[in-house]
Amino acid sequence: MGTDISLLEAVRFKAISDLGFNIEFEVLDFPNCQRKAALNPEAYDVYDQCFHNLAIVWFWGALQPIDTTWLGNWSKVSALTKSGGVGKYASRGFGDAPMNKLYVQPDHSLGPEETRYIAMLPTVHNFDSFGYDTRVFNTDGKERESWAMLFDPRAQGKLALVDEPAIGLFDVALAAEAMGVLRFENIGNMSPAEIGALFRFLKDKRKEGFVRRCWRTGEQAAKLFRDGDVVIQSMWSPAYNELGSAAAVVKEAVPAEGYRAWHGGLSIARHVSGPMLHMACEYMDWWLSGWAGAVMARRGYYMSAPLAVMDHLSAAEWSYWYDGQEAAQDLLGVDGETIIVRRGARRSGGSYLERARRIALWNTVMDEHNYAARAWARFASSVNGKLR
Amino acid sequence: MKRYELVAAALRSNIVSGRLEAGLVLLEGPIASLMKTSRAPVQAALRILEEEKLIRRFDGRGYLVGRAGTSAALVRRAIDKLDLRIPNEINAALQNRGLWEVVYEEVESAVAACLIFGEFRIIESELGDYYGVSRTVVRDVLGRLHERGIIAKTSSSHWIVGPLTAESVRERFQVRRLLEPEALRLAGDRIDLEKIAQSLQRERVRDPAKQGAADWMQLERDLMEFCIFRAPNQHLVELIRHNQMPLAAASRALTKLGLPEDEIAVSEYLMLFELITARAIDAAAIYLSNHLTALAEKNLARLKIVAVIGEAPVGVPYLTLRESE
Repeated sequence: MGTDISLLEAVRFKAISDLGFNIEFEVLDFPNCQRKAALNPEAYDVYDQCFHNLAIVWFWGALQPIDTTWLGNWSKVSALTKSGGVGKYASRGFGDAPMNKLYVQPDHSLGPEETRYIAMLPTVHNFDSFGYDTRVFNTDGKERESWAMLFDPRAQGKLALVDEPAIGLFDVALAAEAMGVLRFENIGNMSPAEIGALFRFLKDKRKEGFVRRCWRTGEQAAKLFRDGDVVIQSMWSPAYNELGSAAAVVKEAVPAEGYRAWHGGLSIARHVSGPMLHMACEYMDWWLSGWAGAVMARRGYYMSAPLAVMDHLSAAEWSYWYDGQEAAQDLLGVDGETIIVRRGARRSGGSYLERARRIALWNTVMDEHNYAARAWARFASSVNGKLR
Repeated sequence: MKRYELVAAALRSNIVSGRLEAGLVLLEGPIASLMKTSRAPVQAALRILEEEKLIRRFDGRGYLVGRAGTSAALVRRAIDKLDLRIPNEINAALQNRGLWEVVYEEVESAVAACLIFGEFRIIESELGDYYGVSRTVVRDVLGRLHERGIIAKTSSSHWIVGPLTAESVRERFQVRRLLEPEALRLAGDRIDLEKIAQSLQRERVRDPAKQGAADWMQLERDLMEFCIFRAPNQHLVELIRHNQMPLAAASRALTKLGLPEDEIAVSEYLMLFELITARAIDAAAIYLSNHLTALAEKNLARLKIVAVIGEAPVGVPYLTLRESE
């Protein structure tokens, strides 16, 4: 069970043929996936989601520790999750870095101290920002890209946000701080007073008519750009491949403040045991063996064991997606037919390492998540309800 | 006698004497106002009388006087016009506590249960109607809740509840760490060692297959009742009690949501009880302080979980979600 980030039919077919047992995918949106994972752990065997929601699902007791000695590819997982950054001087970012939720501690809590057991096997991840219409913003190519652009007067009535409190709320927070309107002592763990101020800001912006929509899937986001409903919005990487003719005018920003990072991974439900547990581990290990990582690369996602991915990408693909070089030729998407990158194009933000060094914060389930998520749910339904 | 037992006793004596005739319809509301109590004890009393086969359910609201299978004609009469005889000692016991105290307990528990789900408004008129009590009683009840810091008043004079934020959980645990180990030290010789030894024994022989997992909240209540609340300083005990109220309420609400038992907390309480029964009170106080630190972290983690529960399971009409922020 997971989201459309990683659960693609192409991946499922290949896994079945490589592993020799049947696999079924259940694809849900973020909030529903998280809710079902916590409340109904019998309904799935492997949970494919993000580290930040371990704060909820792990503490609900829905998952079990994963023995890393069962995972042949564990040693290939890079330093980003194991040590917290791609290099000693790389920005760690605010909020819930995956490292802090990686290892199962002796008291069954999660922490960064290395143990034999992990709560989630790190897989896909990315450094997200927002996309904007170059006919409206940065028309001369000299404008500074900042999260503040989300609430620029030019975005009025044409802004959309991702509808997930541990994600969309931070897009707004980064924007409010970049604008100089609000200041958070720790943007990754806000106090109730700071959350209150953030929602007052958001409410004012909504009254001014800024927010057009709150979306839940990348497909919805792509459609908003295609239909010309928005000129700027939160974006997920694969949505850039689905823009159709709008692709020519939509640019992925490289915000001066840094990216909002997230890290996906795989966990095992509490009830899984015996032969099913072995299959679950084989399936998870398979994700790190390269093929699936290559598919994810074509969606703009990085894999926690990048070197294995290299063997499954063409030289041109690797140098575009991971190295941030100009595409030496047209590059195809996951379907193997559609051209998603034109020859000569360069990935926004540069290479993997360049992007990974500029993490402003991680998607986070803050201490006050319960409080913030309820306020967010009311905000999102007021935005989307008004639309209906 | 518990309140519901008093109500049951009063009704029973009037059924046996025939003042409550066979076929008479018994409704919770009128009985509650006659007995000057809230509905919950009346509900419990009626269930007891049903088990005793003095009354039975029927195809309508309430109960009928008379055992199942009997076929007296349905009688609908106002119970306060029936001149019931309520034995003096029962009447005295029923009136012993002020009406507001009875209502207070129920309002407090309803209010506490909704704290983790956001900010609520208490509608005074609804509260009065629900319990069938006057505005004066409503004000007494809300005044006391306010005094205890459980509810607050907005600038527009609305009573509001919650939300229980992570910040306030953290602060309350800080208060617990400051006060409870010291109260344990002060309690010293007044600690009921026998009761603590009994709890310890109860858990040692527990068979989880038959009796279910140990309940750490029960162990916490034992610690409070038999140790910490024995401190010879009533003011301190009251502070500790009030500080804990919303935390205990949140824990109860989380347990109701189906959260698994915390086995580590259980083992920590047992360790603590071992130290107390060995009269190593200083060591126990230090252990308690560390235990509270760990418990605070777990409580913060658990509070996040509540976010997946969309709507608050409120269940009383006088609490309404405040969405205005």
